[in-house]
Amino acid sequence: MADTAVMGPPPVYNEAIVRKFTIATMFWGIVAFLVGCTIAAELCWPGLSFGLPFLNFGRLRPVHTSAAIFAFGGNALFATSLFVVQRTCRARLWGGEALAEFLFWGYNFFIVQAALSYVMGYSRGQEYSEPTWHLTLFLVLVWVLYAAVFIGTLMRRAEPHIYVANWFYLAFILTVAILVLVNNAALPVSVFSSREYVAYSGVQNALIQWWYGHNAVGFFLTAAFLGMMYYFIPKQANRPVYSYRLSIVHFWSLIFMYIWAGPHHLHYTALPDWTQDLGMAFSIMLWMPSWGGMINGLMTLSGAWDKLRTDPALRFSVTAVGFYGMSTFEGPVLSIRPVNALAHYTDWVIGHVHSGALGWVAFITFGAMYYLVPVLWQRTRLYSTKLVAWHYWIATLGIVFYMTSMWVAGIMQGLMWRAYDKFGFLEYSFVDSVAAVHPYYILRLLGGLMFLAGALIMVFNLIMTVNSRSTAQVAQPWSPGLSGAVLAGE
Amino acid sequence: MVPPQAESGRNACERGMGMEETSELLTGVMVAILGLVGLVLASGALDDEMYLFGFSLAGFAFAFDFMLIRRHYDRQDAQRAAVKAAVHHG
Repeated sequence: MADTAVMGPPPVYNEAIVRKFTIATMFWGIVAFLVGCTIAAELCWPGLSFGLPFLNFGRLRPVHTSAAIFAFGGNALFATSLFVVQRTCRARLWGGEALAEFLFWGYNFFIVQAALSYVMGYSRGQEYSEPTWHLTLFLVLVWVLYAAVFIGTLMRRAEPHIYVANWFYLAFILTVAILVLVNNAALPVSVFSSREYVAYSGVQNALIQWWYGHNAVGFFLTAAFLGMMYYFIPKQANRPVYSYRLSIVHFWSLIFMYIWAGPHHLHYTALPDWTQDLGMAFSIMLWMPSWGGMINGLMTLSGAWDKLRTDPALRFSVTAVGFYGMSTFEGPVLSIRPVNALAHYTDWVIGHVHSGALGWVAFITFGAMYYLVPVLWQRTRLYSTKLVAWHYWIATLGIVFYMTSMWVAGIMQGLMWRAYDKFGFLEYSFVDSVAAVHPYYILRLLGGLMFLAGALIMVFNLIMTVNSRSTAQVAQPWSPGLSGAVLAGE
Repeated sequence: MVPPQAESGRNACERGMGMEETSELLTGVMVAILGLVGLVLASGALDDEMYLFGFSLAGFAFAFDFMLIRRHYDRQDAQRAAVKAAVHHG
């Protein structure tokens, strides 16, 4: 606090770009949840595609996953990383406004083009890596400039120390660049064709795909959102990080171990057994750093647990950390080969992914958005805390519906597929298992609709926060005594 | 006596290109090149996806560069207005 007071007022930050990414986060969140509900409904009632190719499940599914991960999650990470790096470094973004504008419009241009290509039927056919070569090249350009802006801002910092949230963001930016460059290596059929030959084949291709896929989860959906956790939970709780030393141990152990865990996606395949074992072993070891981080996030609330009663936005962030702990326990369990024999290719995995995506990624983002919007638009408070509470409970109940229905459906599928009768024949045909899970698919759709409804409530609340007179703030000069100003590295 | 805000506005004009101007120029040139690449891709496109991407990239570049040009002149206008207002009141 004393240092902040001595250093005087902070520089004028580029918050316009953070506001744009924040709006895009909200927009793409609704799109992602809406398309998710649409394809969940198509799984219940396949006729809902009306025979139209662009409504086909196979084309809409990558639209949903890309909208959720890269559009909703990606814009949230751009927004928060560019906000956090400026505040914790006491430096305006490097590269000027024009470059920052290019990051925003370029990244969102990529997302729109990728979504259009999927509905038109163009895809590399690899999970989370569907954009064809020319879209990938454009993304790489945007990403390299993003790295330049982020690293440039770190290098011009006025603070001697790089706050731990920036370490997580930096690992995310650098690793995602490497992952995309290696996994998307391909030879185009022609420079004028969107078709390409992937550089790898057979089991090597599968291994590299899942090295990429798992680390997209590890670095895009985990490390980067941990950066969000390490900044926004201390700010919301008005408490310092429980253990800064633990956060550094968390960072290095997570970074080192995650990169090896991909082969657990390829149990019982042509991949050599030792490689599968390696992936499984590292997945189990990952449990420790993951829970170290979870404990650090939760214990940051020591002495401030009472705030959960009065601040539902903080409740989102803390529940997110709970879901992070749960899904990072479930992940290692699923990576154990005999468990994987039951769970792989079933809806259990879908439930696991969504407990992470909805419970961790979306909830920590919602918590950050509820904190950011009043700050960015200079409002005194959120329009309605009651609406935040409604959002929280509807969304939480939605996740519970989603997860439990997928657990039951998945375990049932796994058991049905391996059941033999007394003559040694399979007891059930595949279509029997499809019919059996139908009620659970409807429950999953219900959970998704509740999550979407909650997000719509949030969008209404945030729009009203920005526009309502009741939240307007009288302009005040900067004060070194701002509450919580030094708690997260500022 | 020229007030400080007018001085700072004048200095900004006189000291040549700062970070913002350099950023606008380099980003604008880069995006213009991207737009040209988009037109080339669309001109020889062998499938719908490349055709759509090429024209979209050109359209993106066109809109983005016009936004930069507008921002540049808006900023210059604002600086001139600040200088005038300061001199008028000073």
